[in-house]
Amino acid sequence: MAREIYQAIADGILVGGVYALMAVGLTLIFGVLDIINIAQGILVVLGAYLSYQLSASLHLDLFLGLLITVPAMFVIGVVIHWAFIRRLRGRERTSMTLLVSYAVALIIEGILYQVYGPDVRQLNAWYVTSSVHVAGFYLPYIYLFGFALAVVLVAVLYLLLYRTGFGRSVRATMQDQVAARLIGIEVNRVAAITFGIGVAVTAVGGMVYGATNAFNPNSGYDLISRLLAIVILGGLGSIGGALVAAVFMLTLESLVDIWSPDWATVVFYAALVLVLVIRPSGFLGRPQGRTA
Amino acid sequence: MTTAGRTLTAVKLAGLVLAAAAAIAFPWVFSNPVDTNYGVYALIFVTVASAWNVFSGFSGYISLGHAVFFGSGAYTLGIVARDWHVTGNGVFALLPLCAVTGAVIAVPFGLVSLRVRRHTFIVITIAVFFIFQLMAYNFSFTGGSIGVSAPFLAWSPSTYNDPFYYIALGCAAGMIALAWAIRRSRFGLRLRAIRDDEDRARGLGVHPMRVKLAAFTLSGAVTGVAGGVWFFYLTQVQPPSGFDPLFDLSVVLMAFLGGLGSIAGPVLGALLIEPGQLYLTARVTNGYLSEILLGSLFLVVVLFMPRGIVPTSADWLRKARS
Amino acid sequence: MNAHGGLLGHPVKLDILNDSSDPTQVDTNYQTLIGADHVNLTFGPFSSLLTAPASSVAARYGYAFVEGAGGAPSVFDTPSNQAVHNVFDVSLPIKDEMVPFVNWIASMPASQRPKTAAYPMADDPFADPPVQLAQSELQALGVKTVYSKIFPEEVADYKAPADQVAASGAQIVVLGSTDVPTVAAFMQAFEQQHYLPKMFIAAAGPDQGAGFISAVGKGNADGMMVPDGWYPGYDNASSQALVREYVAKYGGSPSSMSSDVAEAYSVGQVMAQAVTATGGTDNAKIIAYLHSGVTLTSVQGPVKFDSLGENGVSDAFVFQWQDGGTQFNQVLPVSAAGSVAITAVKPAWAS
Repeated sequence: MAREIYQAIADGILVGGVYALMAVGLTLIFGVLDIINIAQGILVVLGAYLSYQLSASLHLDLFLGLLITVPAMFVIGVVIHWAFIRRLRGRERTSMTLLVSYAVALIIEGILYQVYGPDVRQLNAWYVTSSVHVAGFYLPYIYLFGFALAVVLVAVLYLLLYRTGFGRSVRATMQDQVAARLIGIEVNRVAAITFGIGVAVTAVGGMVYGATNAFNPNSGYDLISRLLAIVILGGLGSIGGALVAAVFMLTLESLVDIWSPDWATVVFYAALVLVLVIRPSGFLGRPQGRTA
Repeated sequence: MTTAGRTLTAVKLAGLVLAAAAAIAFPWVFSNPVDTNYGVYALIFVTVASAWNVFSGFSGYISLGHAVFFGSGAYTLGIVARDWHVTGNGVFALLPLCAVTGAVIAVPFGLVSLRVRRHTFIVITIAVFFIFQLMAYNFSFTGGSIGVSAPFLAWSPSTYNDPFYYIALGCAAGMIALAWAIRRSRFGLRLRAIRDDEDRARGLGVHPMRVKLAAFTLSGAVTGVAGGVWFFYLTQVQPPSGFDPLFDLSVVLMAFLGGLGSIAGPVLGALLIEPGQLYLTARVTNGYLSEILLGSLFLVVVLFMPRGIVPTSADWLRKARS
Repeated sequence: MNAHGGLLGHPVKLDILNDSSDPTQVDTNYQTLIGADHVNLTFGPFSSLLTAPASSVAARYGYAFVEGAGGAPSVFDTPSNQAVHNVFDVSLPIKDEMVPFVNWIASMPASQRPKTAAYPMADDPFADPPVQLAQSELQALGVKTVYSKIFPEEVADYKAPADQVAASGAQIVVLGSTDVPTVAAFMQAFEQQHYLPKMFIAAAGPDQGAGFISAVGKGNADGMMVPDGWYPGYDNASSQALVREYVAKYGGSPSSMSSDVAEAYSVGQVMAQAVTATGGTDNAKIIAYLHSGVTLTSVQGPVKFDSLGENGVSDAFVFQWQDGGTQFNQVLPVSAAGSVAITAVKPAWAS
């Protein structure tokens, strides 16, 4: 029994790292720009497909391929923001971002289906199937790398947000758009770049996701609800919170899995509801004075 | 009222009467079950979209969890019919139970979720939705992954759809009337005050939680009934169909397309989208292309008619007249 | 409704509609097919979610509803089928799928039988019945159940249940899967955990030919077993003809054909025989004919429907990928015509 529990905790932490990678972009976009990006799920899948394409045509190592997919997704993100999101304003903005991102998700999914069909793919590399043997447990390399990447990414984004001028502009925009504009911040440019960063980061999540799961264009739906839950739990806009929440939720789910996999997913969502009732701003979220 | 105002009201009234007559006459004129089938689904979704709008459109709290009520209504009808051995027309008499289920679920659901900010509210509704879907899989009284089947109706196929059509029509008409009444009432005013500025509304003496909860409960009850009708018509409910992740997104689109917060908006949106989607998918066999098309349609709507068809058209009309 | 190629000899037009896996859409489609397009015959879809509403529309109109897959007990159990008896499944009733595997274990002397087994199952009416039956029978044979859990079908991550199975160290794994991704995920997790079951049989997935190999790789596929009613090398004249026509039309090799092709084709064959025998497309006559106890032929073998609509004379076979994952061979029942020697122990993971 103890062995199962340790295994479950190890699994939870490692898989949590993967989910953190996928969720970080979402919390950035959600927290900073007030945009409920329903397309995050399909963007992860898009990242996976881009990595797949690079690996299939150019035989590039998956991590090396990130040097291409990350900038590519950044551009895609900026384009999406510029073309569709930028124009949204007014009272109905929240629901509009919801619909726009859902629309974009549908279009991306349709395109992926056209190009790749419904067949299931998986990214492969030596580190996907081999594991390191530690204390009687096997920890697959890909998960370890993924977790390390998640930590690095969180650190990098923190530095960006708190140690750079750009980061200051982002935080100002997050707190009060009007005031930010008043002190000379080009809110639209900040918004576009932040959105781009959010999507670029998702390229990394996509690659690790694609290496640890078989995916096809339909895989986005299962992901998005979990990612939304993680992001809210961690606190909107809190990058570190996303990592903590992801690890927490996945570990909890993993532990319940020992007893019943069917109920594990329920626990995932029930935990979210419970925590939010007690602490509506999530783990590391700031109780914002913003109007609801 | 001015003469112009009186004429406008008369025109609106005439339009309403015409629409009602057309709706009632529809199955006689288009008697092929294929056509009435579109009518049934369209009216079910008119009901749902209106119900959703009365809560989310009026209060500004976007719910992505209304499938909870829809599916619960469906399961209620199925489980009660199964366990109490109700068959034939008697099953329709069970529909009020679906409303009760919807209301009973809405109260704790609302109490828990309406305390948080709007963004968080959206995600809580998604979480509760998944909890319900998973419970439907896990409990044995819901039939697990097999779900619940409706009693077989040995009716003639050529008129099979008609009773469903009229019941759905009744639900839709009732909900529309309800929405209209709420909009004109103090209750509706309070809801809109909450949407505009909740803190200020609270300062003016409005009890936000009570108002929101009341709207949520009403919305949930009616959505439950719609779910019951849907279940009996389709004859089957399973966890992924009763609690469908795309359900709420479709409803949001319908309400939005027509115009959030208006009465006619969700009706129009549902009448356009539900039969449209069914028809297109039945006729255009490349499913992937239809996804791209649907997504593009959303984008066009949001970008060019951000307030929805009904308010935008009203604006155009007003501009044209001045 | 998705029917593959392999058309009958007559000028038959196949009306194929996309259903986006949505029951509301399926209901509309079948009403459209019957009410607007006035099709004469209806075939069933390939999904547990869609079969019941579709069959009930067909029942309403008195249409026969013949399907190639979807033989879960729950499908025959619907009120509409109980009233009208219009559902027919040409393939093996799914709960009997694992029987040849169980029989093979039973045929071993008790001392040589594997001692432990794990039964992970997806929450699906098609995946669970055969695995649950296998579990109760194997238990009776003395094989200890060390893991038996149902996991959600739409789970985003299979790692947790798969790691639990690996931790159990079971010698046999009977996986209740419905598709390739599930099997692939379990196989990958097993490999990461350096866990190799002696025998690994999945309810579905390895029968998808090229679709399976492209997801897991030939080396890993080696030794994987799956129940199947058909395989490309099946020694049956009409089956061989189908294989030739299919490869000629769609390219690829025979081993890339999935069993869905044969199932769909069998549906067409059965219908054709019913139409010919009753002299037309009167559905009431067709239903009566199919229930009359007549034995029909198909690329999957003989077809004879019982009162429920199940094919009572179909044989269960178990297939296995062999020869480094290049051959998909029939291995069980050991004595059946066409069976080759089974690879009793799964070869190591190869990546």
